[in-house]
Amino acid sequence: MDMVHGAATIDRLREEIQGVHYRAATDTFCRLVTEESRPLKSMIKEAIAAAAPFVQVPSHMMQLPNGEMRGVNYDHTILGWRGAISLMNELGGTRGILPNIQAMWYVPQGLNVWEQVICEFPGHYARDGEQCNRQFPGPDEHVNRFDGPAWNPPKIYFQDHAAIEGGSVTERLSRMNWAIAEGDKAEAYGLFLGLAKDPATRDRLKDAILFAGITDLQDTIINRGGYQNIGHKALRARALVDIADYLGWDNAHELIYTVVPDLGCSPRLYGLFTEVSTICRMELPKNAVIPKRTASPLAEHELDRLTEALLWGGPFEVNSTIMGFFKRGAGLLDVGDAVIACFQRYLMDVLEHPNAFLHPTHALDYMNVVMSWVRKHDNPHQVKGIFMGARFMNDAIRSNAIYPRDPTTVLEPRQHFRGWADGIALDRMLPILKEHVLAQDAPRSCALVDSYLARTSERHDLLDTITYAACHWQNDPHVMRNGASSLEEFRHNRSSRRDDIVRGYVKHQSRYVKRAPTHDCYGVFAHYFQPGNA
Amino acid sequence: MNPDLDTVWRLRNAAAVTLGLAEDQMRRAIEAAGTEDLVALLESFAPGRSNGPDWARTFEPLVERLWAWRDTATMAALAEIFRARGMAWMAVTNALTTDQRAAARHPAWARQPAFTVV
Repeated sequence: MDMVHGAATIDRLREEIQGVHYRAATDTFCRLVTEESRPLKSMIKEAIAAAAPFVQVPSHMMQLPNGEMRGVNYDHTILGWRGAISLMNELGGTRGILPNIQAMWYVPQGLNVWEQVICEFPGHYARDGEQCNRQFPGPDEHVNRFDGPAWNPPKIYFQDHAAIEGGSVTERLSRMNWAIAEGDKAEAYGLFLGLAKDPATRDRLKDAILFAGITDLQDTIINRGGYQNIGHKALRARALVDIADYLGWDNAHELIYTVVPDLGCSPRLYGLFTEVSTICRMELPKNAVIPKRTASPLAEHELDRLTEALLWGGPFEVNSTIMGFFKRGAGLLDVGDAVIACFQRYLMDVLEHPNAFLHPTHALDYMNVVMSWVRKHDNPHQVKGIFMGARFMNDAIRSNAIYPRDPTTVLEPRQHFRGWADGIALDRMLPILKEHVLAQDAPRSCALVDSYLARTSERHDLLDTITYAACHWQNDPHVMRNGASSLEEFRHNRSSRRDDIVRGYVKHQSRYVKRAPTHDCYGVFAHYFQPGNA
Repeated sequence: MNPDLDTVWRLRNAAAVTLGLAEDQMRRAIEAAGTEDLVALLESFAPGRSNGPDWARTFEPLVERLWAWRDTATMAALAEIFRARGMAWMAVTNALTTDQRAAARHPAWARQPAFTVV
C-alpha cells in the first residue's frame, strides 16, 4: 500500500480533514496512533475539533429557485464517532479500532453539507447523492472532483460562543430547552456550555438534552421530502452524551459545539410529541408513575398483537395497542423491549430492497435513544418516548409500503438454506457467516444465524462476527450507529423474542445498500493495526 | 349449539359469496378494459398520490389478476408503456414483465388472501 510520508502531526490531520483529503487524513490519524503513540481517545477529540466549525447548516430546509423546498442532510460525522466508540468496547482489542478508522475515513467527506447539496463543496453527499460531477465535471472526465480535495475552505455557519452562566440550574435548563424549541441556537448553546461546567448538574443536563432531541420528531415521513428529521435530533443528543462521557466533559467543548446548535436548527417538529402528549394526558393521567419494569412483561399473544400493529396497522392501531399494555400495568421497558423485538420481524421477513432499510433502521436507532434515556434517567415524559418510537417505526414501514414492490429485488427465503446451514459444524459457522455478510448474501447469512441460534446459547462471538464484517464497509456511519443500537438493545432486552434482534441485525448488515463496493478503509486499518485473520 | 357460532358461519358464507361476486365482476371489467383504462388504473399506484400504504398494498393482487385475465401481448404492451416512463416506474414495469411473473406476489407485502380460480 502506498502510504503518505512526512511527519504525522495534529496540524496536518486538521488540514487534511478540512481540505477533504479523507484518505490522507485517515492515514495521518493511524500514524499518529501507531507511530507517534498518541492515545486514540485524544486523536478522536482532535478529529472532532477539526470538523466542529464546519458541520452546522443554516437550516435543514432549502428553498429552491422554483419556490419548492428540499431537505438538507444532517451531520453524520458525530454519529460515526458515537457508533465507533460504542463498538470499540463490543469488539475489543485491535479489532475494536476498525470502527474508529471508519469514522475517521468519513469525517472529511461529511463537512459543509449545505454546500455539498448545491455542488459547491466535495464530500459524500455531493459525490453520491447529488451526483454533482455529472452537472459540474472537472477537466479530467475520469476524476470525480466531488470526491475531494476541496477547492474552497469550508464555511462556518455558526461561530463558537461563550458560555452563559448565572441563574438557577432549573431556570437555565428550562431556558435552554425553550431556546432549542424556539430555534435560538446561540442561547441554547451558551446555556449548555455554562451548565456543562458543573459536574453536579450533568445528569440533569443529559436528561434535558435527550428530552429536547427525542421530542423533536416528525409525525410522518410519507411524501414529506425534507420536511422531517428521521430522528436526527435525538441521535445527535445521544451522541453528545456518550462521547462526552468517553472523552470527559472537560474535553468536550468542540463536541458540544458540534451537536448543540443543530438541535435548534429548523425545521423543529413537535406535532407527534403534541399528539402523544394529548393521548397520555387523557388516558394515562398518572403516567409519571408507570414503573420501568414489572414482573409481567408482554406475553406471546401480546407480542403477536404488537407485531401486527407495527407492521400492518396504522397510527390508531399502534396507539391503541401500546395504550392497552400500559393500562394493564406493563412497564416502560417491558413495552419498549417488545417494540424493539417485534420490529425485527419487518427486517427479517419483509424488507428486500437494499435502499428500503434506511428509514426503518433510523427508527430503530431513535428507539434505542429512547430506551437508553429510560434506562439511565427518570423523566415523567418517558412514556411518550415509547409511543413516539413505535409510531416512527410504523410510519417508516408505511412509508416504504407506498411504493409498489419491485419483483426483481426478491430474496430467496432464508428457510431454503437452513438445511445447508445445519450441515455446517458449529465451530466452523462464524468464519463462514463472515464471508456471507461480506458477500452481502442475506438469505445464507440469515440461515446461518437461525441455525446458530438454535444450536447454542453463545451470542457474544456471533454478534462480534456480524459487527466486524459490517464494519468493513466504508463511507457510511449508519453501519456503526446501527451496530451500536442493535448490540445495546440485545444486551438489555428481556422479551422472549430477544434473539430476533440478532436475526434483524444480520439481515440489515447483509442486505442494506452500500456506499462503496471496496474496502479501502479496512485496508488502511489492516496496514497499521495488523488485525491478522481475526 | 352456541347460537353465535351459527350466525358467524352464516356471515362467513355470505362474505364468501360477496367476494366471489366481486371477483367475477372485477374479472369481467379487466377483460373488457382497453389498454388506456388499464394504464390509468396502474397509474393510480404512483407513490406521490399516497398518504398511506393501503392502496399500494393492493398492487400485487391486482398484478396477479392482470396476469390471470389478460393475454401476454396486453401485458407486454403495458410493460412497454411504463418502461418508457423511466426509473420512477421501474417497479411497475418489472411486475408487468414476463420473466418476473412468478415473483409478482409476495405474501409478506401484500397481506391479501391468496387468489385462486376454482
